[in-house]
Amino acid sequence: MSEPITLDQVDSDGAIRETMDAVADDSRAGFLKKSMLATGGIVGGAAILGAMASPAHAQTANDVSILNFALTLEYLEAEFYTEAVNMGALRGEVLAFARVVGAHERAHVSFLRKALGSAAVGKPSFNFQGTTENQAKFKATAQVLEDTGVMAYAGQAPLIDTDAVLAAALSVHSVEARHAAWIRHINGAPPAPTAFDKPKTKDQILAAVAGTQFITGAPAMTAAGGSPSFTG
Amino acid sequence: MPNHLTLEIVDEDLAMREAREGTSESRANFLKKAVFAGGTLTLGGIAIGGLPALSFAQPSPSQDVQVLNFALTLEYLEAAFYTQARNLTGETREFARVVGAHERQHVAFLKKALGAKAVKSPTFDFGNTVTNQARFQATAVVLEDTGVAAYNGQGPRVTKPVLAAAGSIVSVEARHAAWIRDIVNQNPAPKAFDQAQSMSQILAAVRATGFIQG
Repeated sequence: MSEPITLDQVDSDGAIRETMDAVADDSRAGFLKKSMLATGGIVGGAAILGAMASPAHAQTANDVSILNFALTLEYLEAEFYTEAVNMGALRGEVLAFARVVGAHERAHVSFLRKALGSAAVGKPSFNFQGTTENQAKFKATAQVLEDTGVMAYAGQAPLIDTDAVLAAALSVHSVEARHAAWIRHINGAPPAPTAFDKPKTKDQILAAVAGTQFITGAPAMTAAGGSPSFTG
Repeated sequence: MPNHLTLEIVDEDLAMREAREGTSESRANFLKKAVFAGGTLTLGGIAIGGLPALSFAQPSPSQDVQVLNFALTLEYLEAAFYTQARNLTGETREFARVVGAHERQHVAFLKKALGAKAVKSPTFDFGNTVTNQARFQATAVVLEDTGVAAYNGQGPRVTKPVLAAAGSIVSVEARHAAWIRDIVNQNPAPKAFDQAQSMSQILAAVRATGFIQG
């Protein structure tokens, strides 16, 4: 990867452009998009994104399993924020947080689906048990979800086989940590409560997710979701 | 937690070279050269020539030592920055107190992991970035964002035990970055994907600060 990869080389069907468009309501993401498209080349984290987005066959079965685990968590987060914003109960910085973070989580979903291709699991159905229609419940739940996301990526990273997949996971991992610190700050909780974040295993994470009862149905046959259903 | 990380991971070549060379060259000079060297970077006695951004050399015990010493240098810098900061008020003061304690713990952890292979701390001059609150805040944002990019860039270059330990630190650096960004009304999470930077990119950025004196 000594030379910049051009967007067109890795994004023949435009999925990355779509992802960037999807997050364009975040001004900084918009800036990133412009700078990438302006130069015609993508570097750094975006190069990872490109490298990973093209050859799904380069992944091992183990990596596919890990990415599908991550995709399921990202589906959950994306749906949570999208629904909360659309329910209209959020105000002030909490609303700004939900908008920005929701755009990020949707970008993570798009990215993971693109990377997995036909191996991508579908989106489950969700019921957020009232946490998307009440600001206080939303804030508490967002904090748990983001801290959980950090622990999940931390637990999986050392299990990943492929460099490009690992690099991509790391570029998402730290963003989840930023989200966690942000909502903690909003909540008046310590944004960085310990000097070392603890990882959790896939089993631990899945048990925690099951405990929320947010997932109410198995994934559909394909990942192509329709319009979101609002569950409150 | 990562306390059990032992670098058993012994780099015999490096150990022997260091033993041969003795201490004729101080660690500080060593590091100074590391940071100020142009094209070819030396850190911890290992030459890292012409690293292209984000190329991943196969992880190895000797590369772990190199990467951990790179991380240790950044943590020394952060720890000294927060420890020296004064004249801070309000939440910024609390931020510096909490984050400074974290960075000192990261230093202690990395030194323990590296044992005799640990580089010494350089000396620093942070100028008015540690005496003026606005300058402190702006610098903290850059340092923490840089820390995230640095750890993310090294992740694919280290062995799995080191990766696990680094993973428990990088997310804390990201939390610090988001916290100070929120304090100064910058977007705590400006992108959906954090951008990694290579060791040479990070060291060029550190060199440009002029913070490292020797």
